[in-house]
Amino acid sequence: MTESDDFSLPLAAPPPPPPPVPHWPARAQPKPLVEHEFEFSGRGNEYFRIWIVNLALTILSLGIFSAWAKVRTERYFYGNTKLAGVPFEYLAKPLPILLGRIIAVGLFSAYVLAGQFSIALQLGLALLVAVLAPWLLVRGLMFRARYSSWRGLSFRFVPDYGESYIRFLVLFLPLLASFGLLYPWVKGKQKEFIVEHHRYGTQVFRFLANPGQFYPPYLIAWSVIFAWMFGGGMLLGFGMAMISAGNDSPPPEWIIWAFVVAIYAGYFVVLAFLAAAIANLIYNNTEVGGRRFQSRLKGGKLLWIYSSNTVLILVSAGLLIPWAMVRLARYRAECLSLLARDDFNDIAVRQGQGIDAIAAEVDGLFDIDIGL
Amino acid sequence: MTSLAARYFDGQSSRVHDVDVELHEGNTLRLRGAGFERDEPLENLSVSPRLARICRTIELADGARLLLDDHPLIDQWFPLCNPLQLWVDRLERHAHAVAASILVCLLSAAWLFFWGVPWMSDRIAEQMPEQVETRLGEEVLAQLDRFAGLAPSTLDTERQSGLLARFATLKAGMPGAEDHRLLFRNAAGIGPNALALPGGTVVITDQLVSLVSDDREIDAVLAHELGHQQQHHALRQTLRSSFVIVIAAMFAGDVSSASAVVVAVPTFLLQGHYSREFESEADAFALRTLAEKGTSPAWFAQAMRTLEAYVSEQDESGDSPGYLSSHPQTRERIEEAEFAGEKFAIEHPELYRERPDYDACAEDGLCEEAELDEEIDCEVEDCEIDTSGLEQDTDTEAPVDPQPR
Repeated sequence: MTESDDFSLPLAAPPPPPPPVPHWPARAQPKPLVEHEFEFSGRGNEYFRIWIVNLALTILSLGIFSAWAKVRTERYFYGNTKLAGVPFEYLAKPLPILLGRIIAVGLFSAYVLAGQFSIALQLGLALLVAVLAPWLLVRGLMFRARYSSWRGLSFRFVPDYGESYIRFLVLFLPLLASFGLLYPWVKGKQKEFIVEHHRYGTQVFRFLANPGQFYPPYLIAWSVIFAWMFGGGMLLGFGMAMISAGNDSPPPEWIIWAFVVAIYAGYFVVLAFLAAAIANLIYNNTEVGGRRFQSRLKGGKLLWIYSSNTVLILVSAGLLIPWAMVRLARYRAECLSLLARDDFNDIAVRQGQGIDAIAAEVDGLFDIDIGL
Repeated sequence: MTSLAARYFDGQSSRVHDVDVELHEGNTLRLRGAGFERDEPLENLSVSPRLARICRTIELADGARLLLDDHPLIDQWFPLCNPLQLWVDRLERHAHAVAASILVCLLSAAWLFFWGVPWMSDRIAEQMPEQVETRLGEEVLAQLDRFAGLAPSTLDTERQSGLLARFATLKAGMPGAEDHRLLFRNAAGIGPNALALPGGTVVITDQLVSLVSDDREIDAVLAHELGHQQQHHALRQTLRSSFVIVIAAMFAGDVSSASAVVVAVPTFLLQGHYSREFESEADAFALRTLAEKGTSPAWFAQAMRTLEAYVSEQDESGDSPGYLSSHPQTRERIEEAEFAGEKFAIEHPELYRERPDYDACAEDGLCEEAELDEEIDCEVEDCEIDTSGLEQDTDTEAPVDPQPR
């Protein structure tokens, strides 16, 4: 449930929860609101074994095994994430994923090779992918929802391609025309679309936030970055002037590097706080059949996890990636809970259809932001 | 036989039924709970493969499922399920297999970046039509002119044609070098430097021309750049960088939240590694070419010292660590060149005038006529003494030529 970019939380948004209540509980008067916490019980050393063996097998099989590796990874993270004592399940089979990967790799290689021979060809392919993106996005969400399950019921994503094209393609026009100022609003519209088309059994996901509510976090983030770069630029100019005041030589190189590092660090900090704010905004405004999520991510804590993860990964030549993933998943689960009055025992099924993995995989490789 | 506690979901609703599960008569799974019973033949069931400590799921034919904690009994009930994943699961639990996997991963990564990527890039570079490379070079030059502050040269025509003639002599006889051309640019911002652009163009800055005290130093620099040209370093470097970025991006896609730094730092270090390799190749080429053309390779050392002195003068605190530099340790390069120079002196004693330490007065008795030359030589020697003191443990990125992008 963790494989997604910085901003996203599990795509298969977790569903309703009850504690492992025994058999037929008494159907009764209005019950009190109970907070059910998500818990993540994965361990770094345990996941490391899975990760490294699967990576090695993927290498030795020239990539074929990667589909099995993906399923094992997803199953590990789903299976260790519990809501009200019941784990989630990832049900996808490796073969459709393998087929999807083969197509995705083919497309990606064509894209890279095209760039070597003709920029026009490459642009054409990029354009094709861009035009297909909203469709691929929906297919990917359908696939993931279909194969995410809890308490014996699968999630569903109800496709609406027209709406997807509007929110993920057409809205880019006003976005460009507004020089990006509409970005938070567009982001809000997109998240709304993704949340509201999810179903769990008969239960419908609702998004209660107004897209305008995405403005405050983004405006704060933009202002801080702007102030930081402006201040840094002033300091840089001032520092260079001071240093080269006495002589004619150009300023030493380290000062430029220090500037770049400082700007990047500032960006990193803002990104962590923004990620926390947006994830909280989305979850706290998501409702499923009258049950509300509660997300308490802290920007500072997230920053600490991101930055220490980065250092650990760098110094270990990547070997600590599994620990990094587990830490992040644990923190995300720790911060999430579901408020419900019922015991989750009376949600009925509504059959969805099987979805091929191809779209999901093409999406993944081109790294289109499909995070909830 | 023992029974296992499980949670039963009928697949039609989210209701939990707590049940006990046991094997009945060797071929039927018997489910019993409060007010609930069900028997299913084993062949109608499938089980999710074992994975770490996560719950196992037994799927019934009608979409109902049983969720139960992992237990050895489960694999006894379903001995033939998922042989592949059973085997992978054993590997994951086996310390030796894990150790072997670490080894496989690290070795493959090393192989990929030190051998696979260069090999792929070089094969592609060979296939690449010449026009593509030429166009790429024109593009780079246009960008340099626009953004890096390269201005038309201020050298007078006579000086330029003198240097062009030296360039022509150097490249004479090199296969495929007919179209290589030398351009002059005034680049106050960059300083003394020379660049090898894709497609045969060599750029030398006015600052470099006026820095050196003997044109044979320029020969050395140009020979180095021709080395880059003959071996298509600029193009190959571009391709290698692209590959590293693509691979790193694909890998990072799986890492999820790991930030861009995780990709950027190794990419940067790797590119440094590749370009150091190319610098060494170009150096070797330059030393060979100089010797073939009857100029002592020691002039290359001389040029390096001149540049080194310039850099250390510019940057008193020039302490960029060696592994970050895009050039091999300057000292090593100078030693290589000196060594080649000594070899040259032994092989061609008749060309003693071509050595940087040639003393016209002592060796040819040309004291009076050569007074001017002698002074220049002395100056150069002074420089040499200064720099060796200054540069004791300083690696400078001698600006001979950062690879153009």
